[in-house]
Amino acid sequence: MGKSISIKPSQTVKAKTKGRCENALPRSKKVRAIQVPEENASSIRHENNRWQRLKKKCEPYFYILPTSLLMVLLLILPIVMVICYSFFNNVIIEKSPSFVGFSNYLSILTDSEFANAIWNTLHFVCISVVAHLILGMLFAMLLNSSYLKRSTKTVFRVIYVLPWVFTASVIAILWKLMFDPNGVINYLIQAVAGPGIGHIEWLSSTSLALHAVTFINIWAGYPFYMISILAGLQGISYDLYEASALDGANMPQTFFRITVPQLKPILISLVMLDFVWTIQQFALIWMTTAGGPINATNTLSTYIYKQAFSKYQYSMASASSVIVLIVCTLIAIFYVRHQKASE
Amino acid sequence: MNFHTCAKKSFAALLVASLVFGISACQGGGGTSSEASEGAASQAASGGKAVTLEFQQWWEEELPSGSLRKICDQFTKDTNINIKLLSNPYADTKTQIAAGAAAGTMADVVGLDGSWVYDFAKQGSIANLSDLMKQDNYDTAQLASQIQVDGKAYMIPVVNFAYPMYVNLDLLKSAGISELPKTWAEFKDDCVAVKKKNPQASGWIIQLSDNSPSGIQNCLMSWLWASGGNMLNNGKPSLTNNEKMTKTVDFVKSLFDAGVVASGATSMTEADMTENFINGRVAFMTDSLAHLVTIKKENPKLNFTTMGVPKMEGYTGKSGMDVANWGIGVSANSEHPREAMKFIEYLMSPEVNAQLAVLANAFPGSAKAEPDYSKADKLFSQTYDIYKAGYGINEFTGIPTSEDLMRSYSKQFQLYLKGEIKSADEMLANVQNEWEKAFQ
Amino acid sequence: MVGKKKGYVKIIIIALLILGALFAGFPVFWMILSSFKPNAEIFAWPPTWFPRVFTIDAYREILHDPGKLRFFANSYFVSLVVVALTLVLSILTAYSFSRFNFKGKSTINAVIISVQAVPPITLLIPYLSLMVVFRLYNTYWALILTYLLFTLPYAILMMTGYFNTMPRALDEAVMIDGGSRFRALWTVLVPTALPGIVAVAMYTFMQAWNEYLFALTLTKTNDMRTVPIGINMLMGQHSYEWSEMMAMSVLGSLPVLFLFLFFQRYFIAGMTAGSVKS
Repeated sequence: MGKSISIKPSQTVKAKTKGRCENALPRSKKVRAIQVPEENASSIRHENNRWQRLKKKCEPYFYILPTSLLMVLLLILPIVMVICYSFFNNVIIEKSPSFVGFSNYLSILTDSEFANAIWNTLHFVCISVVAHLILGMLFAMLLNSSYLKRSTKTVFRVIYVLPWVFTASVIAILWKLMFDPNGVINYLIQAVAGPGIGHIEWLSSTSLALHAVTFINIWAGYPFYMISILAGLQGISYDLYEASALDGANMPQTFFRITVPQLKPILISLVMLDFVWTIQQFALIWMTTAGGPINATNTLSTYIYKQAFSKYQYSMASASSVIVLIVCTLIAIFYVRHQKASE
Repeated sequence: MNFHTCAKKSFAALLVASLVFGISACQGGGGTSSEASEGAASQAASGGKAVTLEFQQWWEEELPSGSLRKICDQFTKDTNINIKLLSNPYADTKTQIAAGAAAGTMADVVGLDGSWVYDFAKQGSIANLSDLMKQDNYDTAQLASQIQVDGKAYMIPVVNFAYPMYVNLDLLKSAGISELPKTWAEFKDDCVAVKKKNPQASGWIIQLSDNSPSGIQNCLMSWLWASGGNMLNNGKPSLTNNEKMTKTVDFVKSLFDAGVVASGATSMTEADMTENFINGRVAFMTDSLAHLVTIKKENPKLNFTTMGVPKMEGYTGKSGMDVANWGIGVSANSEHPREAMKFIEYLMSPEVNAQLAVLANAFPGSAKAEPDYSKADKLFSQTYDIYKAGYGINEFTGIPTSEDLMRSYSKQFQLYLKGEIKSADEMLANVQNEWEKAFQ
Repeated sequence: MVGKKKGYVKIIIIALLILGALFAGFPVFWMILSSFKPNAEIFAWPPTWFPRVFTIDAYREILHDPGKLRFFANSYFVSLVVVALTLVLSILTAYSFSRFNFKGKSTINAVIISVQAVPPITLLIPYLSLMVVFRLYNTYWALILTYLLFTLPYAILMMTGYFNTMPRALDEAVMIDGGSRFRALWTVLVPTALPGIVAVAMYTFMQAWNEYLFALTLTKTNDMRTVPIGINMLMGQHSYEWSEMMAMSVLGSLPVLFLFLFFQRYFIAGMTAGSVKS
């Protein structure tokens, strides 16, 4: 069989070429044509070639098959249902909802409460994401520092990861207790600034509530960045640091010229994921202020919840969700294009 | 080589997939088979056809441990119908019922709050109880009340929780007050006096958290109802041209303006409110009678009493007392509606209802029940007398999207408090507008 | 960091370390403190730094209640299974994304990210109906599969990133010796990516452990329910068990922290990226 002979050489050639692109259809054909000149079994080889080309083409799909199956069955299906709901009126609460086209979207987009929710969400998300990034990076660098003993790093690593270990409900209740006008945070502030400052209403005043809730979210979410960045830092080759130290680079230079560029792909993924997730943040806001004094902390997630389970307007809630979905899909496309370009 | 690995991988994938579905089918079967075996076990015991009803409620946590189970077991002994108790965290019960109704996983019998009834009835999630009761020739006169939508009953209140006003006698004594206030003016003066003597305390407290805006119902509307006022007229919103309503809003605002209301009101929940009172920081609090036991347990040294909510100047008629209830209904898709109705009738029978009322520290929903409150706290019986001297009322029960109505009222009220709305009339006109949209 | 070790830098680092620990740890300290106080004292003013009435009632309530202990068992079981499955599926998928260029790759990539954008509350009812159709309602599989959907996007993205930082020379080294791609993946890439895998595993565990809404909706009997539901059950209509909630959180977090402590060493698996010299 000419099969074994024709495979090995092409494999070797492929290995020799620093192959990035495995879409090696034209290449392998070329290689085989050069390497193995046989006339007799050419037709069988054609069959084999085509079969192997097919397998090679299918190979990547096999790897993603289980995941894709799961997602299509369990996620895409409900999402399609939600999109369908958004085009009907009074879905779920009536046995036969009527098709209303885009009118739900129109009502949502002209709702001042929706606009308010978008504004609050942007504020909440952007500040959270930036703060998460800075804190995560800071703590990761601290925990990676060579100035500290290994045991110190271990202990502090556990302390820093603590906010991650608790459920959103518990974090919300805990911080609500702490931010209570008669809570410990006001107590500490009064201990420092004197009783004249009074009992600050962190979560009940329209001016402070959103900031308080954002602060809680920052506390709850930075370990995610910290751990991922820490893992990423482990992957940066020591040689790079060595080389830069030999060149006489100081700390900020090392950080910005080596660490950050090496971490960039991870950082971009983290930011994008966190952006999408923070938009979904519900339990934290609901159990502290539930949309807050006079909609001061009403974000898209609480807005949608109220539409669905307080007003029983599932179609409106679905339409709002689809709007959120579209926005995030655009971001995702943007990200993916960026990934492709950098490859 | 490639082919083999490809084959191996696809085989592995298929294996995993079949495992998944195999196990899930097993589990799904396992789920129903365990229920079948439950039924079979009771079948073996009773020798007849045994039905199992699922009862979705949040009451088990609030009642003494095991008491609800005992009551249900007695029912099973009498009728061979098994009761499976399911519970959800209270705050999520409404959402879970809505989701369950839509997906067909709702329990046979459901515990309901009065504010959910209209919407669930309109959505066809809960069954028409009037017909079921007629089938059983049930005498509806023995029910203290039924919650109806379009003339048909959908929910029956099993027990009622009244909302009297709790008074911290120590705080009053420190301000030199020896008599309980009877009118609004006296109330306000007392609050101001208490606040002056105890800067860290407050005169009154209200919970307006958007999370569960029942403070509007329990704390604010209590003032209105105690003075014989109404927020509805013929079941429709009537907030404008309603003198008592306007006076109520202005009165509560004046309490805020006088600085006697506890801070943090707009993000406070009922539980927070109660804990503030327990810690002796509040002179007057309109709260559920069910908290009597909690207060006594957590702060036995607190010197407090209960009274009816003070009446508006010039009002001499009967006082309405706010009531919240533990209601019960039947799922529209239940496979055993007759058995479910039997269970409800059992819970509403005078003896059982009286028993439940005593256990829950509530008033019975059965007109014929005579609960033995002799072992209960004397404040409890005191409040029961106040309640009987007046009447129970809660206009938020059985109206569309009650919670949302409370929320929009709360929002407008907060805008008025802030000064962004200039007058009570303007505020009430806004609320009336929003409410009318829901009633269409 | 290489280079000379400067004294003042060490002081700054230690100062930042302590400040960070206060930021991260103070609320947790407060939680632990509250779990030893009776309910009323949690709301006392001024707040007490050492419980006036030190009580372990909250812990006793939990540890003597088999129903509540079952919550812990369920949470651990579900979370561990989810971690295992997520790692396997995401490693396979990430390998494909990292090493191949195939048609539809960017679309699938974009879809995986954007499906997370649908607010779970809207997905709730259609998803529940789907679970009922598949007869998975009130089973462990409902929770496991649901959590897989939540954790896979992140896991795939991160693993792809970590794989991308590893030169193909590693794969090729195995394939030149006659190994298959599959073997290259599991014998070389996975051990090299260990810090990344541990990070993903930790994230996955936390996600599955802390999830509340779907755990509540997809289960109906207490023998299937998890710790977050147990905690929320303590918030009754008339009685809020604050200290018990705090105690339950603390108890739930201890084994997680121990697991974390144990797996930390794999985090610092070493600079293996430099092991393949060009």
